[in-house]
Amino acid sequence: MADATISGGMPTGREARPVTSGPMLAADGTPLRASLARSLRRQKLRALLLIAPLLLFILVTFVLPIGDMLLRSVQNGIVADTLPRTVAALSQDASEVPGEPVFDALYTDLVIAEEYKRHTQLGTRLNYESGGASSLFRGTGRAVGRFETSIYADQLRDADPAFDDSAQWAAWMADPGNRDALPQTADAYDAWATLTTEVHGDDPAEEDVGDFVYAALYRDLAAGSRPPAMPAVDVSGFETVTAKELFIDDDDAWGEPAIWNTLRAFAPRVTPGYYLNAVDLQMTPDGIAPRAEGDRIYVQLFIRTMVMSMLITASCILLGYPVAYLLASLPMRSANLLMILVLLPFWTSLLVRTSAWKVLLQQQGVINDLLVWVGVIGNDGRLVMINNQTGTIIAMTHILLPFMILPLYSVMKGIPPSFVRAAKSLGANDWTAFWRVYFPQSVPGIGAGSILVFILSIGYYITPELVGGTKGVFISNRIAYHISDSLNWGLAAALGTILLAMVLLLYWAYDKLVGIDNVKLGG
Amino acid sequence: MVQASRDAAFVEFDRVQKSYDGQTLVVKDLNLSIPKGEFLTMLGPSGSGKTTCLMMLAGFETATHGEIRISGRNINDVPPHKRGIGMVFQNYALFPHMSVAENLAFPLEVRKMDRAEREAKVKRALDMVQMGQFANRRPAQLSGGQQQRIALARALVFEPELVLMDEPLGALDKQLREHMQFEIKHIADNLGITVVYVTHDQTEALTMSDRVAVFNDGRIQQLAPPDELYEAPVNSFVAQFIGENNTLEGIVTVMDQNRCVVRLDSGDEIDAKPVNVARVGDRTKVSIRPERVEFNKSRLQPGAHTLRARVEEFIYMGDMFRTRLSVAGNDEFIIKSRNAPDQTRLQPGQEIEIGWLPEDCRALDAA
Amino acid sequence: MALPIYASTGQRLWHYAFRIICGLILFYLIAPLLVIIPLSFNAQDFFTFTPEMLRLDPAGYSLEHYRDFFTNPDWQGPLWNSLAIAPVATLIAVALGTLAAVGLSQAHVPFKGAIMAILISPMIVPLIISAAGMYFFYSRIGLQGTYWGVVLAHAALGIPFVIITVTATLVGFDKSLTRAAASLGAGPARTFRKVQMPLILPGVVSGALFAFITSFDEVVVVLFMGAAGQKTLPWQMFIGLREQISPTILAAATVLIALSVLLLGTLELLRRRSERLRGLTPV
Repeated sequence: MADATISGGMPTGREARPVTSGPMLAADGTPLRASLARSLRRQKLRALLLIAPLLLFILVTFVLPIGDMLLRSVQNGIVADTLPRTVAALSQDASEVPGEPVFDALYTDLVIAEEYKRHTQLGTRLNYESGGASSLFRGTGRAVGRFETSIYADQLRDADPAFDDSAQWAAWMADPGNRDALPQTADAYDAWATLTTEVHGDDPAEEDVGDFVYAALYRDLAAGSRPPAMPAVDVSGFETVTAKELFIDDDDAWGEPAIWNTLRAFAPRVTPGYYLNAVDLQMTPDGIAPRAEGDRIYVQLFIRTMVMSMLITASCILLGYPVAYLLASLPMRSANLLMILVLLPFWTSLLVRTSAWKVLLQQQGVINDLLVWVGVIGNDGRLVMINNQTGTIIAMTHILLPFMILPLYSVMKGIPPSFVRAAKSLGANDWTAFWRVYFPQSVPGIGAGSILVFILSIGYYITPELVGGTKGVFISNRIAYHISDSLNWGLAAALGTILLAMVLLLYWAYDKLVGIDNVKLGG
Repeated sequence: MVQASRDAAFVEFDRVQKSYDGQTLVVKDLNLSIPKGEFLTMLGPSGSGKTTCLMMLAGFETATHGEIRISGRNINDVPPHKRGIGMVFQNYALFPHMSVAENLAFPLEVRKMDRAEREAKVKRALDMVQMGQFANRRPAQLSGGQQQRIALARALVFEPELVLMDEPLGALDKQLREHMQFEIKHIADNLGITVVYVTHDQTEALTMSDRVAVFNDGRIQQLAPPDELYEAPVNSFVAQFIGENNTLEGIVTVMDQNRCVVRLDSGDEIDAKPVNVARVGDRTKVSIRPERVEFNKSRLQPGAHTLRARVEEFIYMGDMFRTRLSVAGNDEFIIKSRNAPDQTRLQPGQEIEIGWLPEDCRALDAA
Repeated sequence: MALPIYASTGQRLWHYAFRIICGLILFYLIAPLLVIIPLSFNAQDFFTFTPEMLRLDPAGYSLEHYRDFFTNPDWQGPLWNSLAIAPVATLIAVALGTLAAVGLSQAHVPFKGAIMAILISPMIVPLIISAAGMYFFYSRIGLQGTYWGVVLAHAALGIPFVIITVTATLVGFDKSLTRAAASLGAGPARTFRKVQMPLILPGVVSGALFAFITSFDEVVVVLFMGAAGQKTLPWQMFIGLREQISPTILAAATVLIALSVLLLGTLELLRRRSERLRGLTPV
C-alpha cells in the first residue's frame, strides 16, 4: 500500500493512559461485581421472562400435584376431624381401655359422625391399621342412635317442662353465663345446631334437641355446675347409664385395648404410619414393630422391582451393545437403514408392543405354536411365558432396548477409529484392542443408557400390569391398586414417594454423569 | 487522506471497562477516539480485549463501566439493531436459509425500503464485490472467499457510516487473504466509511490500517500509524508483538537526551536510543530489528559500538537470508539480509562483528 | 467392518457370528411389530396363524377387524378423543416449550441447572407417580375427569421432549446469525421470526412429534384422570388387553404402527433437512 504513511494521532496521555484500579472496583469506585450485575440484569430478566410461562405451567400442572401427593403420604386428619372430642379426652387418659369421660366424648362424636355419615370412612381408614375397625364403626354407628341416653332428656323434661322448649334452649345457649357454666352442653348444643342446619336444613330453634345434648347437660349439672340463667334442677337422684357400658354392650371390641391403641396412634394430624406401612412396619403401643409375617409385602415388592429392573437393564446392555457397535462401525448409509429397525419400535405405541408380546407369548400364541410345529416341545408341554416374570422381562427389555442403543450409539460414534488402529499398530490383537482401548471409551454410553433404562423400568406400570400376572408386577402396580381399588391413598402416596425418591436419586446421578441437557432422542 | 484529529471524534470510548465475572477486567479503562473515515485496526493476541471492545461498540456486550459515543451521542442504552453499524463477522454469519440476494435485501426490508430501490441497491452492492452473478445462490454453494465478499456486501448495502469487522479474513487461505485485504481497503477508501477492524494478524493490521491500536492485557499499548508502530515501538510488548525483533538485556550506564549506553549482561556495551528508560541504573531490554543489523564492516559507522557474534545457522528463504547468531549470550539473535548478487552468505561457525545505527536500537522497559 | 484379506479363520468365524447375533437382536426388535400386521387380517378371532393363513388361502384373511375398528363406537369414540386431546396438548407444549428453550439458550440464565431439572422431570418421574399426583390434585381443583384436565396433564408430559429437541437445535445454532440480524437493523421479534425460527424449525417440529406421540400413546394418566368422556385409544386397548382381548386390538395396533412409520418418516426428512442447513454454515 503506497499511501500507508497516513499521519495518525500520537498516543496521547488520555488515549493510552494506564490506570491502576484494583481488580474489584470499577473506575468510579463502585464494586465491579455490582456494576456487572447491573449491566447483566436486563439480559437475565429477558431470559427469565421467556422461561417463566413454562416454568409456571409445569409448577402448577406437575410439581404442585406431586407435592400434594407427598403431603398426602403423611396427612392424617381423619381421626382428629371425625372424633375431635375423643382425641382430646384420650390425651388425658393413659389407661389401656380409657375411662368414662373418653366414652362420653366418643358417644357425642359418634352420634355427630353418624349423622354426617363419616364414621364408615373412619372405619375404612382404621381398618388398614387394625382389622375389624371397619365393621366395629359401622355396627356401633348404627346402634349409637338407639343408646339408652334418652332417660336424661326424659328426666330433665319431667323436672322442668322448659327443657322441652327448643326456642328456650336456643335462648339459654346464647347466654354467655350459661355457656361458661356448662362447657360440655354448649359444645354439644353447638354441634347439634350446626348439624340440624347443615344435614337436615332445619331451624334449631324449632327442632327437638338431640339426646346427646341432654346427656351433656346432665354431666355438667352432675359435676356441680350452676348455670345462672336456667331453671335449677337437682340431678342427684337421676337414674343413670354409663356410655362405657353401652359401648361395650354393643361390641366387646370397645373393651379391648386394640382399638384404643389404634385411635391413639392415628390421632395426630401428621403420621409416619403410611411410610411404616410402606416398609412393612407398624406403630404399636410399644413403638415401631414389624408387621405380621403374612402382611409383609412391600419390602419384598420393592426388592423385586429393583431386581427385575436390574435384570432388564442387564439384558438391555447385553443386547444393545453389539447392535450399537455394529451401527457405529457400519458406513453411514447402511447404519441409517438398520437404525430404522431400532427407531420404529421406539416410535411405536407402547400398547401396540405390549399387545404384540401378549399375542406372541400366550400358550396358544405364535411362539408356542412355532415351537410345537418345529417339535421342540409337545403340544401338552407348551411353555408358560406370560403372566409371570419371564413375560415382564422379555416384553420390557424389548420396549426399553432403544433407550440403551441410542445413547450407546451416540457415544460410540464419537470414538475415533484411529484409537483402535493405533492399538493394532502397536501390536494389540483384535480382542485386546477392543477391550483395552475401545470398550473403556464406550463405558460412559453404558452408564448413560443403564441409568436411563433403570429409571424408566422401576417406574413401569402398563407392561407389568398386562403381561406380569401376579408374580411379575412392580411397585407401580401396587400403587395403582391402592389408588383405584383399595382407596388407601395415603399408603399409595407413601409408596409413590419412596419410589420417587429412588428415581430422583438416579436422576441426580444421571445429571452428574451425562448432564440433563445431553439427553439424546431418536439418534 | 484523513487527518486524525481529536476534535472530529466520530467514535469515542470513554473510560470503558468490561468484566464478565465481576472479578477480573477484560478491558481496563479504554479511551479511544476515532475520526470519521479512518480505518482503525485493533490488533492483539487472543484474550487481549480487542474483540470485546468491538462487541461493545456493536452493542452485543454491555460495558460494565464507561461510555461509548458515536457522533457525541452516548449509545450505551441503544440496542444493537438501532445503532446502524454494519458488521462483518468472523464466520460471515450469512443466513443459510436465504439466498445471497435475500441476505443482502434483509437490512433493506427491515428499513422498509420499496422493492425497486431494494433490488437496485442489492445489485450495486453485489457488483461492488464482483459477485453479481451469484445473487440466487445459497451461501453453502459458495466458496469461503465468495462468502466473505457477500458478508462484506451485506454489511455495506444499507450504507452505514461505521463498519466493524471481526477477523473477517481469518478463515481464508494466505493468498486469498492478501487479496481480500487490498479489496476491503479499497472499498473502504472509496466509500469513505469509518472501519474498525479486529485482527490478530500483524501483517494484516500494518497493510490495511490508517492507525493501529495494539491491545494487550485489556489496555491499548500503543496507538499509532503502521510505520511508527514498526519503527518506533513504545514498549517491549509492542516491539515483540509487531514484526521480528531481537532483544538484549542490560543496564543503562550512560544517559543522554537521545542516546544512552547500555551494559549488557554479558559485559559488552552498546549504544541505544532511550525510549522507555528513565535514568542510569535502570534495567532495560534493547530491541533491534533483524534487518537493521549490519555485519559488513565497511558499512558500519566509525566509532559505533560493535559486538562479536558467532554464526549458528544459515537459512535460505528465497528473497531473504535469515541467519541465526549467538550474540552476547543470546543464541536466538536473528539477522536478515536481502538476497542480492553481492550479498555474503555466512557459514555456521564463522565469527563476525555486528553493529547498527544507535537510533535503530531502542532501549525499552525490562518487562 | 469389512473383513481384511489377512483375517484368520477364527476372525472370519467371529466376523460372521457377530453379524448373525446382531441380526437376531434386530429381529427381536422388529419381529413383534411384523407379526401383528398379518394377524390383524385373520378371518377368525384367533391370535395365532390359522392353517388357512399359513397356506396363504385368501379365505383365511379378511378385513373384518378393520371394519369393526372403523365402525364400532367402542373404538371410534376413543380414536376421536385421542385426536381431540393430542393436538391441543401438543400445541401447548410446543408453544411454551419453544419459548422457554429460547430463554434457556441465552447467555445469562440464573438457576439454569435447577430450571432445566424441573422442566425435564415429567419425563423422568414414573408415570404412575405423575398420574397419582395429578389425580389427587386435579380432583381438588375440579379438573379431574375433564377434557382440559387430560390436555394439561398431557401437555406437561410432552414438554420435556420439546425442551430437549429445541435446545439441541439451539446449541448447534450459530449465535452470530442473530447478532448479524441485529447489526443489520432487525429487532428481537423480527430476528426470531426471520432468522432463528426458520433454522430451529426442524427441532421444533420433531419436538412436536414427540409431544404428540407422548399424548397419543399415553394411558396411565388417562386411566386416573379421565372419565368415560375422555376414553382414549390407548385406554381402550389397555382395557381390552386386561379384560377380554378382542382381535380388533390387532387392527388398531396395525393402524398405530402405520402412524409411527409416518412419524418416523417425517422425522427422517426433518433430520436430512436440518443436516443440509447445518452443512451450510461454515464452522
